[in-house]
Amino acid sequence: MDHTFHLPNSGHNFDAKASKMGMWLFLYTELLLFGGLFLVYMVYRELNSEAFLLASFKLNVWMGTFNTVLLITSSMTIAMSITALQKGNKILSIRLMWITILAALGFLIVKYFEWGAKFDHGLFPGMDHYQQLPTGERLYFYLYFFMTGLHGLHVIVGAVFIMFVIRGVKKGSVTPERYSLSENAGLYWHLVDLIWIYLFPLFYLIH
Amino acid sequence: MSDKENIHISSYKEHVSTWLALILLTFMTVFVSVFGAELRTLSVATAMIIATVKATAVGYYFMHLKYDPKIYKIMMATVLGLFVFFMLMITLDYITR
Repeated sequence: MDHTFHLPNSGHNFDAKASKMGMWLFLYTELLLFGGLFLVYMVYRELNSEAFLLASFKLNVWMGTFNTVLLITSSMTIAMSITALQKGNKILSIRLMWITILAALGFLIVKYFEWGAKFDHGLFPGMDHYQQLPTGERLYFYLYFFMTGLHGLHVIVGAVFIMFVIRGVKKGSVTPERYSLSENAGLYWHLVDLIWIYLFPLFYLIH
Repeated sequence: MSDKENIHISSYKEHVSTWLALILLTFMTVFVSVFGAELRTLSVATAMIIATVKATAVGYYFMHLKYDPKIYKIMMATVLGLFVFFMLMITLDYITR
């Protein structure tokens, strides 16, 4: 007896619309994940507004600004790489994707120095200085590390995702006619940018 | 893609314009926050309004929502509506304690 399973569409199981819809559905859940954290921030900030204000002065606004510029620029380059791919310019598309990955690396390096400075000051939850802070400031730093940390994980995932697209373009599975993987990686990367657009003013700017 | 007629390719120029707008808005927020710190001019509401303008630009032009089928916009509105609902419920909870 033959148990080989044949797809009803005879193996052509590529559906750009469905894969894009799937990506968007995932992005909606991501928005609600961060949305929940923003609500936690909102409540604690309302209850400890003075402490949040004091704690926010301990962040480096210029490092945050630099990272914002990096993310916005990389958002543009990934969008352009899709345009380049759709127009058939594979080399330009790959270059633009590498620029995006470099920007992601740059973001993480700046983040490393930022976090490093906080570690040196003992501000990470559980460290000596952290334990002596008033409750409001402890909550601020707890949320700061949790939310920027979760966002940083997304930056890493986004960069790896884009590397897969580059591999796909080189191997020929992602083409000007079949670009939905690159489109989905782009959407994910824009989400990373989108979340930072809110994280940045909430933690660095509202004095 | 099978439905060729629906494909819209965003131009490089449009991406650059979006980028420029986002950068300008970012520096505007930073400027007001850093140089107006003593005055506390940057209220939460102002910062959130500017952030939302930036997020809308990213969604509309970079994420292609402007040219995509309506369903994505409808779903986005549903998710945002859900978020606002959560926010309202939590606010009501805290102000009535």
